[in-house]
Amino acid sequence: MSVGKLNERVSALRREVEARGETFYPGPSRIHLAMFPPKERWDDWVELESRAWPEREERRYMLVPTTCFNCEAACGLLAYVDKESLQVRKFEGNPEHPGSRGRNCAKGPATLNQITDPDRILYPLKRAGRRGMGKWVQVSWDEVLNELASRIRKAILEDRRGEIMYHVGRPGEDGFTERILAAWGVDGHNSHTNICSSSSRAGYQFWMGLDRPSPDHANADVIFLISAHLESGHYFNPHAQRIIEAKARGARLIVFDTRLSNTATHADYWVSPYPGSEAAIVLAIANYLIQNDLYNREFVRRWWNWEEYMAVERPEAETTFENFELVLKELYASYTFEFAAQEAKVDARVIEEIARIVSQAGTRFSSHNWRSASSGNRGGWSVARALFMLNALLGAVATEGGVFPNAWNKFVPKPIYTPPHPQMWNEMTWPGEYPLSMNEMSFLLPQLLKDGRGRIDTYFTRVYNPVWTNPDGFSWIEVLTDERLVGCHVALTPVWNETSYFADYVLPMGLGSERHDIHSYETHDAQWLGFRQPVLRAVRERMGERLRDTRDVNPGEVWEENEFWLELTWRIDPDGSLGIRQYAESKARPGERLSVDEYYAYIFENSIPGLPERAAKENLTPLEFMRRYGAFEIERKIGALYEQAVPAEELEDTRTDRFGRVYTRASKPPSTNVVPVPTIDPDSEGRRMVGVDVDGLTLRGFPTPSGRLEFYSRTLADWGWPEWSTPVYIKSHVHPDNLEEDQTVLISTFRLAMQIHTRSANAKWLNEIAHTNPLWLHPTHAARLGVETGDLVRVETETGYFVVRAWVTEGIKPGIVACSHHMGRWKLSDEGERQMMATVRLNHEGHEWGIRRERGVEPYRSDDADTSRIWWTDVGVHQNLTFPVHPDPISGMHCWHQAVRVRRAEAGDSYGDIHVDTKKSREAYQRWLAMTRPADRFSPDGTRRPYWLLRPLKPAREFYKLPAEAEPVGVE
Amino acid sequence: MELFRALALFAESPVEESARVAEALELGAPPASSEYTETFLFQLYPYASVYLGAEGMMGGEARDRVAGFWRALSLTPPAEPDHLSLMLALYAELVEREERDASASERWRHARKAFLWEHLLSWLPVYLRKLDEIAAPFYRRWGETLKAALAEEIEALGQPQQLPLALRATATLADPREQGTEEFLQSLLAPARSGMIITRADLVRAGRRLGLGLRLGERKFILTAYFNQNSQAILEWLSAEAARWQQHHRQSQETLGTIAAAWLEKSARAAKLLEEL
Repeated sequence: MSVGKLNERVSALRREVEARGETFYPGPSRIHLAMFPPKERWDDWVELESRAWPEREERRYMLVPTTCFNCEAACGLLAYVDKESLQVRKFEGNPEHPGSRGRNCAKGPATLNQITDPDRILYPLKRAGRRGMGKWVQVSWDEVLNELASRIRKAILEDRRGEIMYHVGRPGEDGFTERILAAWGVDGHNSHTNICSSSSRAGYQFWMGLDRPSPDHANADVIFLISAHLESGHYFNPHAQRIIEAKARGARLIVFDTRLSNTATHADYWVSPYPGSEAAIVLAIANYLIQNDLYNREFVRRWWNWEEYMAVERPEAETTFENFELVLKELYASYTFEFAAQEAKVDARVIEEIARIVSQAGTRFSSHNWRSASSGNRGGWSVARALFMLNALLGAVATEGGVFPNAWNKFVPKPIYTPPHPQMWNEMTWPGEYPLSMNEMSFLLPQLLKDGRGRIDTYFTRVYNPVWTNPDGFSWIEVLTDERLVGCHVALTPVWNETSYFADYVLPMGLGSERHDIHSYETHDAQWLGFRQPVLRAVRERMGERLRDTRDVNPGEVWEENEFWLELTWRIDPDGSLGIRQYAESKARPGERLSVDEYYAYIFENSIPGLPERAAKENLTPLEFMRRYGAFEIERKIGALYEQAVPAEELEDTRTDRFGRVYTRASKPPSTNVVPVPTIDPDSEGRRMVGVDVDGLTLRGFPTPSGRLEFYSRTLADWGWPEWSTPVYIKSHVHPDNLEEDQTVLISTFRLAMQIHTRSANAKWLNEIAHTNPLWLHPTHAARLGVETGDLVRVETETGYFVVRAWVTEGIKPGIVACSHHMGRWKLSDEGERQMMATVRLNHEGHEWGIRRERGVEPYRSDDADTSRIWWTDVGVHQNLTFPVHPDPISGMHCWHQAVRVRRAEAGDSYGDIHVDTKKSREAYQRWLAMTRPADRFSPDGTRRPYWLLRPLKPAREFYKLPAEAEPVGVE
Repeated sequence: MELFRALALFAESPVEESARVAEALELGAPPASSEYTETFLFQLYPYASVYLGAEGMMGGEARDRVAGFWRALSLTPPAEPDHLSLMLALYAELVEREERDASASERWRHARKAFLWEHLLSWLPVYLRKLDEIAAPFYRRWGETLKAALAEEIEALGQPQQLPLALRATATLADPREQGTEEFLQSLLAPARSGMIITRADLVRAGRRLGLGLRLGERKFILTAYFNQNSQAILEWLSAEAARWQQHHRQSQETLGTIAAAWLEKSARAAKLLEEL
């Protein structure tokens, strides 16, 4: 047959196969990692049994997608469920997932360790004896639900709604629990964000209204990271693969990190700045662009709020762009390369070389900062703010290869019910001293309780371990063991953690493959939705069963949260008289509790554009489609939304103010994407802001009060911080000016690439790879101290000290020390992860606390033979206990870097020793509190917080008003 | 052109889907995994860099050149851009873009022709010649079809303006008297230097014919063992191989022009050096 004929024949065959919805070519290429089982064979996939080797024994699997829960990236997983035993045998990547595209880091496959962990909690437990004594009895879910429902109902009826609090670590979902709290009418959401990413978020929000960057790394020519983003951090796996793609294309990677991280090893330029000096360097680069007219002049003219700046701050000058450019040159003139070099203790020539590279990037400049320097320093938010200024100067905003505001690359579908905003303000999470904080002042909770600002009746910690993760853990223990301050503590957790030891109830919740959630994250310029599901439930349903309760397939009595919260909500208001039950009620079968199937089926059928049509092509319902494939891409290439013209139907009786803000009478068109965006105040006649006038056209603009990118933050100026109303460098609390001569800086914010904060003590593969956190010391520093690798050193903080082993390495700036926060897990008795938690003794006398390690980990017998092969004993040191709280007066973020003294350990010191004086912790809290500019003194309009700022679970607007003057600040 | 993409499927390990494609292409029953392994993992590594690089190994400058082609098209090169499957799939894509994108069809045609001559014909005919000698019947049929498809492309696109970059400046077979035995052996196994492909199977056959003991290992290890046993005999065998390859390259000159001439030159120089030794 001729070549032409063969070609026609194979084309015809492909069309025929694809018309049936089947895969013709198995994957884009099956070379190496791109090899995946074709999706039409997911019901019956055959692999050879690895344990039978060299015999060729076939095993049949059903492949079920779910979403990884081991960091926030929410990568797709594919569970291989053995059809004979109905057990998950392994997890691999889900090729249908638009974010992770079938690729995972080590943490994804390790989900298998977690679900088979011999030490996991399988039944609801209630404490027996005093809180913290470590005695537990198994109870039924019914008993738990009734007890909690009656407590919460009582608090609601007695108008003590402020005493109900839900405190979340890793959310792993988009708004489900916020809505449950809203249904209860409770402003009780508390998060971990202020020990995590608040500062960076604040920096971004002051510029663009939205608090997260969505860098289009894959298409960038220059990638600028102030993070260790190739190995850890938000969306690191989806981002890392795209950064590497860009590098393969020839893009240059610039990494700022005081440590030689794995990311720095892949960089074209690695800069090791003095901690806290990052903003100085970035502004020096900005200054280079400004002084040499290398910025995108047209973009700056069109999109910065320079007119507002000139009108308010420079009323003496005529408001022209040319005048603004002169002012800009003057404002940044002092940020010379030499100044930056001096602050950062790096070579000015290197900064200059990087500046030149940045200047050539054009609009293909992607940058990223999430935690790192932002989280370490007082004023850390100015790092992200300075960094985004480079994008704003280059015009690399929502361009191909630039940085997008996250909400444009995210889709949060409208759910079946949207309860109203709570009719209250919670002072325990949003105290008056921090009116601009990005998130709840979560880590101050013990101090706020000690202040006597209130008490908590029912406190849920959910996948959260504040005793271990937060600074000042002993103060947490102090309040958690005081039943007058915390009436009932419920720990919702799949595994034992240090906080759960101080709970009244420990309730086992499902791991990544045992629960439902939906997610959408800004991994690239697209919008997608991922679905997490209990895989065994999906398997049983594929086999024709109908399940209503996930406990029927989960191990022991492990539940999942959606069902738990819906059931609890139902029981709080069994007859519906409180108006709460309606939000947990089935629409299809009124009078019955809403099922998870109905909850998600509603979303997938009504709120995801294109999904019903796509599912119909395969003769599936939208829910069946999501259960089968686990993810759906809604749209690709969203582009620069700010440049979009506002359609005529949205322009009705419009008014344009002096700064070009356009207000309309037309109401907002409905959307099923309810991703949180700032709510900008209407004009004085009640028109809503719809866009901005740019050169005579009404364009969408940005969700900021000015509608433009805010070089000048009127919010900061009005709320008491005029000196920081434009991007500036703020000297950190660990700036050399603020240190004693014998002090140095401890960097404690970095992760170990394959560990998961406090949630991987149950992952044996990960633990075998990484299980300790020595103190990084430069050889010159080590020589000065007279220590070598392995020697014990004492690290003294403001409130106490910890004893750790030294690791002498050139991978850190001389004089700075570093210790990863991922290690140092402990347990007090048998409850806990025996593979990764040292057994310790907790010593306590007055406000003096200590920990002494009694024994490290050791092999043990269990139904997993690997636990008898544990060869490590060291699990690291829990340094966070020795850190006092350092709340940034603006972002509210805990500033992690510590001023410390490092010396050789003393006689009698033993590895892992911790000593802390919580009186000193309290003094540190008060010192930092004194730096704030509280709302009652600085609010420009009598409110507690600028209404436009994002806030998870916003209260109704009237509750933003400050209480009457007579009432002392901080009391509800 | 779909055919190239379909053919690309077979330079990777066979899967269930291979059967229907093999049938459509009249290639017969698809190969067993073991045949694939024998052909592509043990004998003829399907990477351009192995045949065009001075080292005779995967990667290096030869691979970068192929990656550069992807970049020139504003495409992100995959991890192994010079794998035969990916190259054929890219070629199929180029042919289709030329058909699809009427406004830039000239440009796509130019790219297609450049890729054909620079990156496929610069080594693939030599590779397919060897495949025809040693592979199982399925892969021989596959090679024949691929050769026929390439011939049609030559027909359609015409001869190139210049010799592919990879063939312009590569070293020839190293003289052991000047550059040492190690370098000599390495260059024997680098087709771009010796002008011939010597597979593991060839070495096994040679050993059997010459009565030399086969020491299992990588090719250089086997060759070293042969030289230690009877250097004269193995030199003669290599010399005959070089002569045989000269013959092959000469036969290709009509269709491949300067490319075949360049290969001929390499094998002629190798033959001369081997005779001298």
